[in-house]
Amino acid sequence: MSLLVEPSDVLPLVDVEIAFRVGSLQDPVGKEGLAQLTGHLLRRGPRGMSQQRFEDELATLGARASVEVSMRTTRVRATVLRRNLEPLLNLLARMLWRPALRARDYDQLLRQAQASLTARLDDDQTLGALSFRSALFGAHPYARTLSGTESSIARIDVERVRAFYRRHLENGDFVVGIAGAVTELEARALVASHFPAHRPRKRRAEKLPAPRMRRGRHVVVVDKPERSQTQLFIGTLGARTHDPKLFPLIVSNTAFGGTFSSPLMQEVRGVRGWSYGAYSRLLHSTQRDAWYMWTAPSAEYSAACAALQLELLERWVDRGIKGSELRFSQQYLINSHCFDRDTPSKRLEAKLDVELLGIPRRYVAEHDRLIGGVTRDQANEATRARISPRNLTIVVVATAADVVPSFEALPDVTSMEIVPFDRT
Amino acid sequence: MVAPELLVERLNRGVSKRNARWTFLHEHAFGDALAMRRFRLGNGLTLLTLVDRSAPTVSYHTWFRVGSRHERPGKTGLAHLFEHLMFNATRTRPLGQFDRLLEGAGAEANAATWTDWTYYYENAPRGALPLLVELEADRMSNLVLRAPQVVSEKEVVANERKLRVEDDIEGKALELLYATAFRRHPYGWPTIGWMKDIRGFTVRDCRQFYRTHYAPANATVIVAGDFDEGRALGLVQEHYGGLPKVGAVVPVAQPKEPPQRAERITQLRAPTPSEKILLGYQAPAFCHPDTSALVVVNELLFGGRSSRMHRALCVDEELAFAVRGSIAPFVDPGLFEMWIFVHEGKRRQAALERLEGEIEQLASAGPMQSELDKAINQLELSFLHSMETAGGKAEQIGFYETVAGDGSAMFDRLDAYREVTPDDVERVATKYLRPSRRTRVEVVRGHG
Repeated sequence: MSLLVEPSDVLPLVDVEIAFRVGSLQDPVGKEGLAQLTGHLLRRGPRGMSQQRFEDELATLGARASVEVSMRTTRVRATVLRRNLEPLLNLLARMLWRPALRARDYDQLLRQAQASLTARLDDDQTLGALSFRSALFGAHPYARTLSGTESSIARIDVERVRAFYRRHLENGDFVVGIAGAVTELEARALVASHFPAHRPRKRRAEKLPAPRMRRGRHVVVVDKPERSQTQLFIGTLGARTHDPKLFPLIVSNTAFGGTFSSPLMQEVRGVRGWSYGAYSRLLHSTQRDAWYMWTAPSAEYSAACAALQLELLERWVDRGIKGSELRFSQQYLINSHCFDRDTPSKRLEAKLDVELLGIPRRYVAEHDRLIGGVTRDQANEATRARISPRNLTIVVVATAADVVPSFEALPDVTSMEIVPFDRT
Repeated sequence: MVAPELLVERLNRGVSKRNARWTFLHEHAFGDALAMRRFRLGNGLTLLTLVDRSAPTVSYHTWFRVGSRHERPGKTGLAHLFEHLMFNATRTRPLGQFDRLLEGAGAEANAATWTDWTYYYENAPRGALPLLVELEADRMSNLVLRAPQVVSEKEVVANERKLRVEDDIEGKALELLYATAFRRHPYGWPTIGWMKDIRGFTVRDCRQFYRTHYAPANATVIVAGDFDEGRALGLVQEHYGGLPKVGAVVPVAQPKEPPQRAERITQLRAPTPSEKILLGYQAPAFCHPDTSALVVVNELLFGGRSSRMHRALCVDEELAFAVRGSIAPFVDPGLFEMWIFVHEGKRRQAALERLEGEIEQLASAGPMQSELDKAINQLELSFLHSMETAGGKAEQIGFYETVAGDGSAMFDRLDAYREVTPDDVERVATKYLRPSRRTRVEVVRGHG
């Protein structure tokens, strides 16, 4: 166990995070959603305490807690009024190391998880984002959704959850982070008196295969009735965290579609008024994660908007960014970096990411130098090397009848698939 | 920090124009470390400052006392469209320069409009304050309003409406709720405006709106974060001091809603997999003395997983998979909104009856003191969260200044919650949460 502390005496508030290096990538194939169900069942409280009493105790302390599962981590996050920090730590320790994991709580949790999956169908942007990852990554684990699917979670019973807990969390290594109105000395004493000192089991380092680039331009229409607006995701594989081209690509992507005044936003929204928002995002992980553009144009000009984005993308990759764009992007990234650390919890989060996700320490410590040191040639070369306009996944959430012919007519489309929205 | 009287005296020395002279009005302390100070410029601009050096950032807010309540039928959505137009060219800066300069400085800029107000903000690194003052003062008086920008922004807003209302079930249900609940008051039309009205705006409408509402005396500037107060006052004096004193817009008394004597029920058909119920109980204005007790009622009923509604509807009987409640913080009486997201296979009516049962229980027996303490601890936590960043503090001050008439009222909020008793809870639940005072929107499966 290691402890990270970020003291601040500004407000009588403390954030606590207890993080494990296990996430949805550990879900067995066909049982996607297992890590998240385990985290959510843990959150129902410790042995000897009903779910309701646990909730009442937390709320009475002036605390909130959640268990958040990502691809690679399970994080218990809580925030509490300073005066109640110690009882909160005690409660969290009991929740984590003496969990109830009751069968009847699990049955209810499963029904709620199914209902949440159904409710997700109301949210077009989420539908588009999930369909995009699924189409881009195919059979690769990065395509998995954290919550699984109706059929995958139906295959998980409480014994499976308990086994997952025993295997990955009960004796697993963990990191504790505490930020806010507490000194390092106090934090150390509190953690030592409430949390177990584990001898962690050795875990083999995860070896994920690299995702395969799908050749060509593939369109997926997520068909939903009565859509006046469409959700449009266009993208391809991006970069790895340890990619030497990561920082040049961050700078280049920011210049292309990372700010309100970037060409992507200006051409789509400023000049044409076609979408309320337009941006490009670069994600990175141990293997190449996604790079994508998002817009939400009206159905009537959705394909025209897609065509414009493809043109802008090709121009960006072929011609690169100008020197003035490079400098602007660097200025923006360096100057706005203060908002990544303007609260104790954000400063803690950055430290935890280094500890948990294998992000090189210098990415945080030398952020400004790494951004400021990118040259125009490096930025443009990274863009050409990593972003492929020929190999794209295009996902549009729309009423299929309104958009299929116009999307088929987009340049170089290799395939077109129509998926009913309630079968995504 | 320098005494405010001295600052003002120093800055007014040699300033002959009355519009550019400062007056210090008062100071309100919050704990040992923070204090909000109120200043006024001769042209009527109010400036509220709060120095907090916990992070090297500064937040600059400009709140105008204009929102959708100041519109009229046929011109709904103008305040919101105008919010978009404020990011366009000015007489001194071409289109796009506003955002480019701010982003280059590392600042984030945005704006929001609701029924009673419109506000603009920038969150920036501390060194960017001079740029923020210059740009905001410029667009308060020099905005250029021409056809190409108005046409383009109308299209953006039409798209925003499709995104947030037409294709969004919750947005559509809320619009229907307010249109059904308010028959006379402007709260009945949506802040984003009806689509027909958005399409119909002219450049002339926009110019007239700008002249009427965008003046120093109708605005409050809030600066919070890590900055030098004397320098900030000097910058505001320099850039706003030349603006004329135009009389503050006289608040127009809005038509009163006739008393509601029976529940109003309407249905919304939508391609949704899960049915929903949205209720709106007539609630008092934000400044009404009963609002604090109603906020506590909301926390008791809907505040997280230990709340009464969550336990009753989502856990005990599993009639719903989520519930939510909130009180519209409006200048005039608004609505106490409640959402029930009904579980598949469960009856809407059963969920509604359970919710009513919980309200009746609270209204007749009140909460135990321990339950009340729990709710107040949760409200304290929310309050502290809202104060974490410079932007959060500026937003809270701006909201209280514009809706409650005093930005420092935010600091008294927790004390007001702490004074709420179990009897108060019973009284306001009985008074406000009667079915005859509510409007109901039922979201059912089907095609609209």
